Amino acid sequence: MMLAKKINPLGFVVISLVLLIIPKAYAGHEQHQSSLKPIKTSNKIHCQQADIRCAKTVTSAFAPNGDLWRLWSQSQALYYQVSTDNGVKFSASKRIPIADEKISARNENRPKIAFDNNQGVYLSWAMPRERKYTADIRFSFSSDYGKSFSAPITLNDDGLLTGHSFNEMVVNEQGDVSIVWLDGRLKEINKNETNNGSAIFMATANMKKSPTDFSDRALVNQVSVNNTLVNHSFVNKEVVNGTCVCCRLAIDYNSKGNLAILWRHIYGDNIREFALTTLNEQKIPYQVSYDHWKINGCPHQGGALSIDDDNRYHLVWFNQGDKGKGIFYANSDNAGETLTAPLAVGEQAAQAAHPHMSEQNGIVDIVWLQFTGKEHQLWHQRSGDKGNKFTAAQIIATAKNGADRPFIVHKEGKSYVSWQRFQQGHWLSQL
Amino acid sequence: MNKTISKCLLTLWLLIIAQLSTVQVVNAQQIILPAEPFSQVAFDKMKVKYQGKKWLTLLWSVDCPPCMKELALVQKLQQQKNDIAVVIINVDTYENSKQQRDEVLLAFDLIQRTNLYFQEGLEDQSRYHIDPQWFGELPRSYFIDEKGTFHGKSGLVSKKLLDKWLLTQ
Repeated sequence: MMLAKKINPLGFVVISLVLLIIPKAYAGHEQHQSSLKPIKTSNKIHCQQADIRCAKTVTSAFAPNGDLWRLWSQSQALYYQVSTDNGVKFSASKRIPIADEKISARNENRPKIAFDNNQGVYLSWAMPRERKYTADIRFSFSSDYGKSFSAPITLNDDGLLTGHSFNEMVVNEQGDVSIVWLDGRLKEINKNETNNGSAIFMATANMKKSPTDFSDRALVNQVSVNNTLVNHSFVNKEVVNGTCVCCRLAIDYNSKGNLAILWRHIYGDNIREFALTTLNEQKIPYQVSYDHWKINGCPHQGGALSIDDDNRYHLVWFNQGDKGKGIFYANSDNAGETLTAPLAVGEQAAQAAHPHMSEQNGIVDIVWLQFTGKEHQLWHQRSGDKGNKFTAAQIIATAKNGADRPFIVHKEGKSYVSWQRFQQGHWLSQL
Repeated sequence: MNKTISKCLLTLWLLIIAQLSTVQVVNAQQIILPAEPFSQVAFDKMKVKYQGKKWLTLLWSVDCPPCMKELALVQKLQQQKNDIAVVIINVDTYENSKQQRDEVLLAFDLIQRTNLYFQEGLEDQSRYHIDPQWFGELPRSYFIDEKGTFHGKSGLVSKKLLDKWLLTQ
């Protein structure tokens, strides 16, 4: 009160007004900074509403009836569109009817979608948790071709706040859903170990059969299917330990119906090479690349695996090692025990990276990205004889504002490339 | 009457100060952040600033666990020498990247260092500008010598190497 008596009331008003103005001046400074954004407001797409052009990643897959589904994450939700004409036109965006939750959707880590032959739609994704580098593998299922979806469940059964991410999913003709992911539980449990990698874990189930495994280790979930609660077990199994922590996995069934997995492994002192294993057929994985990329870091580049009807394994990968730099293709007739001499794909000097590959009816297609410094180019190379010889590489599309990784999807034995281009939109084309 | 006016004004004053101090804290956090968007001009300024000296450019992402280890090494270095010649560049351009980036920089006490960040839509252009032979693997460190030559290294670098480069000039 003494202070109030000594200061003229008018002084308070003046000082108060001056002080009120200062924060506004700061606010103006912030606005000026935000105006430095590279994309002009007039060109920028506003992402308040669901719009695939806002997505950093898009996952596409053809359903057995020939519909193309494309799936993306936006504002803690999953959205999808369906095309009945191979991607020319799409339905309006629809939200997967599940509650908001965080969804990993960047770089190598993104939601997955798969189908069975009986109206089943399968979704899996990684949900980041409260601590950095922690997430859970989530799963939701529709038995009525997307009219309804089950409430999401967590597949990792360790109850640990640790990394579970980079999920891949496949559904076979019998409706067996197999999900593999990179898992940090072993590192969490064995904290004294020097291993700085992750492990691959997997879980399988069949949503349309009665569960058969109710052992103590089984994770029993109740999934609502047509309002009937059905118990399903997603027993978690360790596949391998000591993998790279930030590169996607690649999976495919071989001709014997066994699942094969390709991943980036950590050998010795941070030598990051690709490894391959076929479940039920071997105990020790095969090392399949020998490029000697020594890096205690994150390459952010996984490989691709496709197995043909004659059980030939086709592989592509990317390395920047002392002995091999760039994209390589090779195939194996003995499940990866020995491979053909790796074929260099794309131009290293033009930043050839992020390859994907797939085999259909003896035709092997490889797609990858190159970058000119200004635009991204999508390149394609094809072999018509099961990977023995390849045609010359050619550019099939470009992107101006950045690009997602390309992926090959199939319909009735034909291959299509799916490519998300930031701000430009999603692009699909038959190869 | 005067007492009443004075009381009212004092109350108003205190309210304003209370509100202002909150704003200042919020703004202070934003204002003291030296992070600015990566651009050719911004990076060239760094080259001019450190011309004739040895300096380090460290590129990192919140998605990269080894990057955290390298940031921790830089944190230790700055405890030994406050004016280490380091430019830190974050490559994340997602919805909440700013918040995540700032949390990490605050945690490692690196918020006051020279921080740049990639802009959405210009990620690969920025990468290419720094080094057309770098494929985006992280962490990525450039040891820039007195002649301005860039020596790139992918993956976590050793403390010994960082010490040698940044503490011996």
